[in-house]
Amino acid sequence: MRVFLSFILAVVLFSACQNSAKKSSSSGENVSLTAAGATFPLPYYNLAFKDYTKKSGTLVTYGGIGSGGGIRSLKDKVVDFGATDAYLSDDKLAEMPGEVVHIPTCMGAVVIAYNLPGVDELKLSDVLLEKIFMGEITNWNDAELKANNPGVALPDLEITFVHRSDGSGTTYIFSDYMTKVSKKWADEVGTGKSLKWPVGMGAKGNPGVAGTISQAEGAVGYIGSEFAFAQKIQTAKVQNSSGEYILPSIESISAAAQGEIPADTRVMLTNSSDPASYPISGFTWIILYKDQAYDGRSMAQAKATVEFLDWMVSEEAQAQAAKVNYAPLPEAAVQKAKAILRSVTYEGKTILE
Amino acid sequence: MNSDKITKTVLFSVSILILMLAAGMLYSLVGGAIPAFKEFGLKFIFSGEWNPTEGEEKYGALPFIVGTLMTSFGALILCLPLSFSTSLFLGEYFRGTRVARILGLLVDLLAGIPSIVYGLWGFYVLRPALIEIGFGGRGFGIFTAALILAVMIIPYATSLSNEIISMVPNDLKEAAYSLGATRLEVITSVTIPNARSGIVAGYILAFGRALGETMAVTMLIGNTNQIPTSFFGTGNTMASVIANQFGEADGLKLSSLIAIGLLLFLITGIINAAGKLIIKKMN
Amino acid sequence: MKSTFAWKDHTSRRLLKDKAVLVGVVVLSLITISPIVLIISKLVAEGYQQISLDFLIKNTPDTFEAMTAVANGEKIPGGIANGIVGTLLMVTLASAIAIPIGVLTGIYLYENQGKFMANLTRNISDILQGVPSIVLGLISYLWVVKHITNGFSALAGSVSLAIMMLPMIVRSTEETLKMIPQTLKEAALALGVPYHKVILKVLVPTGFSGLSTGILLGISRILGETAPLLLTALGSSIINLDITQPTSAVPLLIWEFYNDPNMIGLIWSSSLLLMAIVLILNIVSKQIAGKRN
Repeated sequence: MRVFLSFILAVVLFSACQNSAKKSSSSGENVSLTAAGATFPLPYYNLAFKDYTKKSGTLVTYGGIGSGGGIRSLKDKVVDFGATDAYLSDDKLAEMPGEVVHIPTCMGAVVIAYNLPGVDELKLSDVLLEKIFMGEITNWNDAELKANNPGVALPDLEITFVHRSDGSGTTYIFSDYMTKVSKKWADEVGTGKSLKWPVGMGAKGNPGVAGTISQAEGAVGYIGSEFAFAQKIQTAKVQNSSGEYILPSIESISAAAQGEIPADTRVMLTNSSDPASYPISGFTWIILYKDQAYDGRSMAQAKATVEFLDWMVSEEAQAQAAKVNYAPLPEAAVQKAKAILRSVTYEGKTILE
Repeated sequence: MNSDKITKTVLFSVSILILMLAAGMLYSLVGGAIPAFKEFGLKFIFSGEWNPTEGEEKYGALPFIVGTLMTSFGALILCLPLSFSTSLFLGEYFRGTRVARILGLLVDLLAGIPSIVYGLWGFYVLRPALIEIGFGGRGFGIFTAALILAVMIIPYATSLSNEIISMVPNDLKEAAYSLGATRLEVITSVTIPNARSGIVAGYILAFGRALGETMAVTMLIGNTNQIPTSFFGTGNTMASVIANQFGEADGLKLSSLIAIGLLLFLITGIINAAGKLIIKKMN
Repeated sequence: MKSTFAWKDHTSRRLLKDKAVLVGVVVLSLITISPIVLIISKLVAEGYQQISLDFLIKNTPDTFEAMTAVANGEKIPGGIANGIVGTLLMVTLASAIAIPIGVLTGIYLYENQGKFMANLTRNISDILQGVPSIVLGLISYLWVVKHITNGFSALAGSVSLAIMMLPMIVRSTEETLKMIPQTLKEAALALGVPYHKVILKVLVPTGFSGLSTGILLGISRILGETAPLLLTALGSSIINLDITQPTSAVPLLIWEFYNDPNMIGLIWSSSLLLMAIVLILNIVSKQIAGKRN
C-alpha cells in the first residue's frame, strides 16, 4: 500500500517538475503551439504539423474535435489557433472577443459515393441529386436515372441514402451546393452543418458513412474526398455549372478556386464557374486573432504562431497536401493568405514583414 | 482532540466533496442550459421536433428521452438473466475454483474494452449477423444498441454481485443446509436476501452505465432524431446526440444539448429513486 | 431416492429444480462470456500482425507513412508510445484522485447507514454514474481547461476520468464493508483500538477483495474512454509527461486512426494493447487480493 502511494506521489511530483522546468525555459526558446478544430483536414494537418516540428523544433499539437470545438476553443482562448471547415459568418465573428482572421490551408471536396456492384460510372445531374436525396427517386432502375446514364446496367435495387449523424463541415459544403442548384432543397432543407434530413439514415463520421455504404448494396451518400480517394470508393460524376460531368480529383478540386476570392478569403467555392471544376469543393481554414497581444500572450508565442501559418501556405507545405489526397491552394489564395498574415499584429506592430 | 473525532471529521469532509462536485456540475449545466429553456420553455422536454436549420431552429428532447429509456431498459432486461446467472456461477456454485477464476477474468475483461471498440465490433460483426438472422433493414436500431449495451454492462452487474454473494457468511448457509435445504433453496432463502443490497447496487450501477454510454450506441442506433416507432426501428439517445452534435454546436443548439445533459442527470436520479422505492416496497 | 420420476414426491421435485437451475446457470454463464471470446478473437485476428516492440516504443506515424505502407502491402510503421504513456499518466493521476476520495466516502456511507447526509451522498454518487462521459468532459473543460491550466491538458483529462471512477469505488466499498460481520469490527473496538486503525487494519484488509474489484472496474472503464479526453487532453504526437500540456491516450489514438482512412487498420492492434493492460491489471490485483486471504 505504501509502495503504491509513494509511486503515485513520485509520478505527480515528476510531472509537476516537468511543468516548472518548461516555464522557466519558455523565455524565448521552445514554444509549443496547440490547436483544435475540423476533422476534415486532420490527416493533412497531422502530416504537415509533424513535418514542421521536425524542421523548426516547435511542437504543434492538433486535436480534431470538430469545427465548432475549434471555434469554441479559440473563443475561450485555450488554443493558439482554431480550424474550421465553414468560415465564420458576420454574426459569429461579432460574438468572438476579438477580431478574427481566416487563413485557408488547403482544399477538399465532398464526393457522392455509391455501392452498385458492376456500375463503374454514374452520372448524376443536379436534378437527379435533388430527387434522390429528397426521396422522390427511390429505386436505382428509375427511368430518369436510366435516361441520364445510357448503357449502364442499373439494377432493381432500393436506394438507401446515408448522411452524417454528427454535425460536420462536410455536410455544410454538400448542403451549400445543393442549396445553390436546387430550389426545392433550398426551401425545404437549406444549408448547415447538421440538417433536418427528409430521408435517409445517419452514420457517424466519414468512416461511418463510408463503412455503411460499403456494406449496403444500393446505398449512396456523401463523404470527404480524401476518404474516398484513399479507400478507392466508387464515386459519381457530378455536373458542374458549365454542364460538364466531372469526377472529383486534385485537379478538378483546385480548379474550383479559380474564380474571385475576397481579400478575407471567406467564400464558398461550390458550383464554381470554371468549366474544369468539381462543383462540390471548398476551402478549409485556420482562424486566429488579428491582434495577438491578448491575455498576457507572449510575443514569442505570437511569432511562432504566425511563422508557422506562413509556412503552412508556402509551397513546401502545400506540396504535402497532394501527397495525401488533398488539393493544394491555388496561387491567388496563397497570396491573399500571406497578405492577411502580414496584417496580424502584436501590440500595434505587425509581426511578419 | 480525540482521534476518533478526527477520523469521523475526515470521512465527513471527503463525502461532502462528492456533494460539492455534483452541485458544481449542476450549476455549470444549468448555466449552459438556461438559454434553451428561455427560448422553448418547459415544452422543450416534451417536444419531438429537432430542426437545426438556421433561421428556424427548434429543438426538443422527447425523441432522445424515449430512445434513452428504450435502450437502457432493454439493455438491463437483456443483461439480467445473463449477469445474474454468472454471478451465481462465480460467487456461489463454483466459487474459488479455477474455472471461476478464468470466467471471472473474462467477464472483467469486458469492462476494459474501449467503448469505441464495442461500437466498431457492433458495426462490423454484430450488425451483419443480425441482418443474417433476418432482421431486415440495415441492422441499425434500438434493439442493436440495447444488445451491445447489455454486453457492456454485464461486468458491472456481475462483478459486484459476485463479490457480494461470495461474502455471505458461511455459517448462515450451513445452518440452512443442515436443515436439509437444497442448493437452490439456500440460494433463494439465504444468499440472495442477505446479499440483496449489494446485488441491487450492482444493477443500479450497470443501469447508470447504460444511460450514459455514448460511443457504442452512436454507431449502432441509426441516429434518426425522431421518436422511435418500434423497438426494431432507429432512433437516438440523449448521450449519443450530445456526442454527435457537440463538436459543431454553438449558441442555441449548444444550449439545447447541455439542457439534454441536464435532463439526463435528472432522469437518472428519478429512475434510481423509483427503483430503490420499488425494492423497499418489495420487502 | 428409489424412484426417479415420482412427480408427486415433493423432495425429488426440489432436487430436480435444484439441478435444473444449476444447468441453466452454467448455460447462461457460458452465453455471457461468448461476446468477450468473439470480440477478443476479432481483435487478435485483425491486430496481432501490428504488435511488435516498435509498436510499444515508437510514436504514431503520420498519414503519409501509413498510406505508402498500406499501398505497398507492408506493416504500418511506428507505434503508439505517446498514447500508452499518456494513458498511464492520466489513469494513475485519476486513480490518485478517485481512490482515496471514493474509499473514504464508501467508509463514511457504511458507518452512517440511514442518516440523511449519507443517503443523499449515496444517491448523488449513483446518479453520477449515469452522466455521459462527454458531459463530464465538458465539465472538466469548463473548470480545468478554461480556468486552471488555460489550455488543454492531461490534468483536465485526469479530472474527468476521476469523476467517472468515483461512483463505482464508492458503492463497491460501501457494499463490501456491509458484508463484513459486525462481530469483527466490534471485537476490535472492544479491545480499545482507535477508530482509524480499525478501518485501516481490520475493515479494509478484510474487504480488500471487494474494494479492489470496484477500483479495477473503475480503472478498466476509464482506460477505454474517448469522448471526455477529446475535450480535455486533446492529444499529442509525442510523449508528454507535463500534466499542464495536451497529451495523447490510447483511446484517443484509436479515434484518430478511425477517422483517418490510411490508418484505420491500426485500431485493432491498439485495442488489443488496451485489453492486454486490462488483463495484466486484473491478474496482478487478483494475485494481491489472493495473498491477503
